[in-house]
Amino acid sequence: MASLPQTEARRRKRQIFKPHFVRAMLAGHSALGLAFAWLIYVVCLTGTLSVFLFDLQRWEQPHAPIVDRAPSPELIDRVVRTAYAKALAEDAVDDISIRGPDAVSPRLLVSFDDHEKGTGGNWLADREGNLVVRLDAPWTAFLAKLHINLHLPRTWGMFLVGLTGVALLSSLVSGLLSHPRIFKDAFALRWGGAKRLEQADLHNRLGVWGLPFHIAVSLTGALLGLATLIVGVLALAAYDGDSGKAFALLLGPRAGADAAPAPLPDVAAMIRRVQAQHPEARFARLRMEHAATAGQIVHLEMRRPGHLALGNAYYFDGQGRLLGDGGYETGSIGRQILAALAPLHFGWFGGSPVKIVYGLLGLALTVITHSGVVIWLARRRDAGRPAPLWESLWAAGAWSQPLALILSAAVSLAGYPAAILPAYAATLLVSLILATAVRSGPATTRALCAPAALAALGLVAAHVGQWRAHAFDASALAINAALLACAAALLLRAGSRRPRPAAQAGFLPQAQAGD
Amino acid sequence: MADGGNGAAWTAMSLAMLGLGVAMLRLSWLGRGRRALLRLGGWAGIAAGFLAMAQGWGGEVGVAYACLALSPVALLAVAAGAERRAQSVRAPRQPALDPEERPSSWTRSTAKALLSIPLAGIAAIGIGVAFALHMPMEPVDRIVIGGLLVPVLWGGGMAWTLSDARLLRATLVLTGVSLAAYASAFLPKVLG
Repeated sequence: MASLPQTEARRRKRQIFKPHFVRAMLAGHSALGLAFAWLIYVVCLTGTLSVFLFDLQRWEQPHAPIVDRAPSPELIDRVVRTAYAKALAEDAVDDISIRGPDAVSPRLLVSFDDHEKGTGGNWLADREGNLVVRLDAPWTAFLAKLHINLHLPRTWGMFLVGLTGVALLSSLVSGLLSHPRIFKDAFALRWGGAKRLEQADLHNRLGVWGLPFHIAVSLTGALLGLATLIVGVLALAAYDGDSGKAFALLLGPRAGADAAPAPLPDVAAMIRRVQAQHPEARFARLRMEHAATAGQIVHLEMRRPGHLALGNAYYFDGQGRLLGDGGYETGSIGRQILAALAPLHFGWFGGSPVKIVYGLLGLALTVITHSGVVIWLARRRDAGRPAPLWESLWAAGAWSQPLALILSAAVSLAGYPAAILPAYAATLLVSLILATAVRSGPATTRALCAPAALAALGLVAAHVGQWRAHAFDASALAINAALLACAAALLLRAGSRRPRPAAQAGFLPQAQAGD
Repeated sequence: MADGGNGAAWTAMSLAMLGLGVAMLRLSWLGRGRRALLRLGGWAGIAAGFLAMAQGWGGEVGVAYACLALSPVALLAVAAGAERRAQSVRAPRQPALDPEERPSSWTRSTAKALLSIPLAGIAAIGIGVAFALHMPMEPVDRIVIGGLLVPVLWGGGMAWTLSDARLLRATLVLTGVSLAAYASAFLPKVLG
């Protein structure tokens, strides 16, 4: 039988990275994780919910029409003309956008706006092409804005979210490099013993097995957030500081300046022209710039199966002449990556199964972020340097989010869209004050989870009470079921009073700990 | 590429292959001793799962589906083998590795933050822009790939500067890289 030092030597030899390297990486991982923990947590949580943005829109407006079949070219042409007439009536004629029904959302969304006048409208059309009801989903818009720019001024907010994506990506790299037994421990999950060991197992298993997803969403998110900054520097170097020129290279031709009146182009003919070449192509989106002017241009996106992109863009001028296409489906690598960024980031490329997996893995990333801080706090406690105030503040920062999001949704459902952001911010502020007063992580967690569970139950009851039969729309039903599951989980969390022993086990080489 | 019905069949086959591969890897890594054949079989199962998904849905979407499917399959295997522990556990035979203890002060922390966020960011953006301007590719390709390089390099720079205890080395490297990248990006414009 091998002696203990020999066993130890072999164990060390099997490890991929040397202990000194691992300890240095761990130090960097801890510092970065702690500095960005709350931002990463909020961005991950809101990003997880954002996967279901279109379902949340349906939950907010379950009576609006759905279009459950592929729209014909004539229907899209009719919608364009109806949208133009509506835009004229509302003095908002410039750009018209249509998003067709697809596997991600079975709705026909029509938007028009005039940037210069600041006017515009968003409508939902029925299967006959009538604009039936205005899009009215203020909480979903609030959520999207929270995820994209944290409700800060747009450029700064997007930069901060992009930086958070970079920090997350960096944490994934340093976390991976500080994992000396990544394969040997790949299936170890010890539950119920020392808190630090349990959380470390959870942190590492969710982190390692979800890695392709974690890297994909953090990389695409970081790029989407930083795009304005990167293109800005590129424009300084090569386009005389004009970012518009650089973006035009990426996003296709823009409308001309000729504002002389002109008839709307025949969109049905454009769609048929693409389908003559690609019979399997289905309408995805359309954007018409400077509608009904001589300079107008149409970006028609048609989707073919087997691609991540929402669709390939075909560019037509005002006379219906094809100017070219974006190459998003079969063009060069850069064009395909460009078109795949948003679908890959939000999980909008494979219908409900992909959205559900994205939701679960997004939740896993949120749990990883939470457990990372919990491990750090537990390590301090084990070392005889507990930080009860930080434990309490972290519990408040994390567990206030379900309560704040549910309360803000309730405010929206009650018909006070202007109060959504104040309700969210006030809940967060009160939670932090509570945490400072209580100075106990478990007590703060219980104090926030119990009301969040009750609020979730109340929200479902209020939604069903308000919308009655419409509340059984497929998406509304799914969201309400998720809210009930969330309430149950929060109640369980609030009722959890399991005392934990001080953790003897360690952070990373868990299989060695306590075995 | 398969139609919807065949796609479902290929998906089922892919999930079975991924499950088998994960189960073999689990046996290999949790068992004692060398189990090279099991490990090889496990990776082969996972590769077969990817191929089946690509066969059913096309390479582009199929690989994305397979990446997505692998995570829940593996996490189910982790959950299935979870060990419930009593609340009192004995001490580990070998203490775990803790983060390196380093001298800490406000000035040092500020310097680290400046290195890892602005300086690493400036260097990464400089490299990305230089790539976007000078690589012999189609303009859209070099801009998109150059853009993708930015978060990757910035993230790598962050991880490195925060784990490296020697501040001067990181400062010199990042400053040098930034100077070279921006000179390459802007000098042609300045000179020409």
